[in-house]
Amino acid sequence: MKSRSAQLSLTILCFALGLLLMAQFRTQRMTSRALLSASSAEQLAIISSLVENNARLREEMEALEEQLSEYQQATGRAMLGALVGELNKVRIINGLVEVSGSGVEVSIDGPIGVLDVQDLINELRNAGTEALAINGERLTLYSVVASTEDGAMTVNGTQLSRPYILQAIGQPEIMETALLRRGGLIATLERNYEGLAVSLISREKMVLPVYKGAIEFVYASPIE
Amino acid sequence: MPGIEHQSGALAIKRLEAEQEELKEGIGRMREQLDEYQRELAANTEMLKGISAELKRQKMVAGLLAVEGAGIQVTLDDSSIQSVPATADLSTYLIHEYDLRDVVNLLWMAGSEAITVNDERIVATTSIYCVGSTVMVNDTRLSPPYLIQAVGNPVAQENILSNPAYLKEIKRKAELYGVQFKVNRTRMLTLPAYKGGFPIHYAQLGD
Repeated sequence: MKSRSAQLSLTILCFALGLLLMAQFRTQRMTSRALLSASSAEQLAIISSLVENNARLREEMEALEEQLSEYQQATGRAMLGALVGELNKVRIINGLVEVSGSGVEVSIDGPIGVLDVQDLINELRNAGTEALAINGERLTLYSVVASTEDGAMTVNGTQLSRPYILQAIGQPEIMETALLRRGGLIATLERNYEGLAVSLISREKMVLPVYKGAIEFVYASPIE
Repeated sequence: MPGIEHQSGALAIKRLEAEQEELKEGIGRMREQLDEYQRELAANTEMLKGISAELKRQKMVAGLLAVEGAGIQVTLDDSSIQSVPATADLSTYLIHEYDLRDVVNLLWMAGSEAITVNDERIVATTSIYCVGSTVMVNDTRLSPPYLIQAVGNPVAQENILSNPAYLKEIKRKAELYGVQFKVNRTRMLTLPAYKGGFPIHYAQLGD
């Protein structure tokens, strides 16, 4: 070390540290001494109280562990996830949400009637259709293709004009087979209506819009 | 010797106090965790309540809830005529699956809110078809007589069924060949929920 004043500072620092260490050491020894100087009777009392208290603390811990594991298994987040999943599935079925997926697009141009279109819809449902639209109108359980007095076709309160384009989401191959099989519905329609123009296209992805109307229950009540 | 006893007593106390400290810390940590879970649940519970209510409504729309209400009953059955002429077209004496479809479609047109055919609840994926001469609804085999029940406005329902523009073939078969077609309004119907599956594998939410 170079300067004498630096050496002096260091010495003072070490001395101060030493004093601090000694003070701490002395305190510990005093606590232990306090324990040691407590009578045996006092020590026993302290010990038995600690043993009892610790036992109660352990019980509390076990109870908390049980509660925690219940929460870990069924948190609100898990329940929420399950409910949202179910909700979305039912919304798709109800036609109350926009959907997309593979399927077929059937275009029919010709003087077919309401019953024929209803038959087509029934055939597509039988082939596992998960969502349906006709001329851009999403079909719900309550949607019916009907005809007005002057022979115009309507669905969801909207008039339909030719060609009638049905979009059905599902497995394209199954739907194609169901509709185009020999003696099937398309074959029957082509036989019944001269000059009918029918085309079926498999689609990898179609987007069907949400049903835009309201579904209200006036007569039916759920049974609780 | 009192000295040693005192020492071991002091030691025991020290150990117990260290254990106590650990237990208290553990309890503190677990309480904090529980608190967090409970706060999360409370935040989610409001959402849970909202979603549960919405789910119930969607189930109602889907036909997944049993319902009750006023409505109409339609009974369709094959002809009970015993002696059928040899040259007769037998199909005119029978109820076909398209007859059932026509009645169901008309009932939807009349604003029905729930429909069953022989207790099979009609849902968005229902198809009414036949395998050979057996009628299938919801992939379930049905046999005559067919009872179609629909909750809705009984007057509107009866009007549409009796409208001469509709169900011409059924009415003709009933008149000429003894096919049975009965309609009656009712004040209280109880219709079961749909019990089948809703396989959704291709349709996805959104675009």
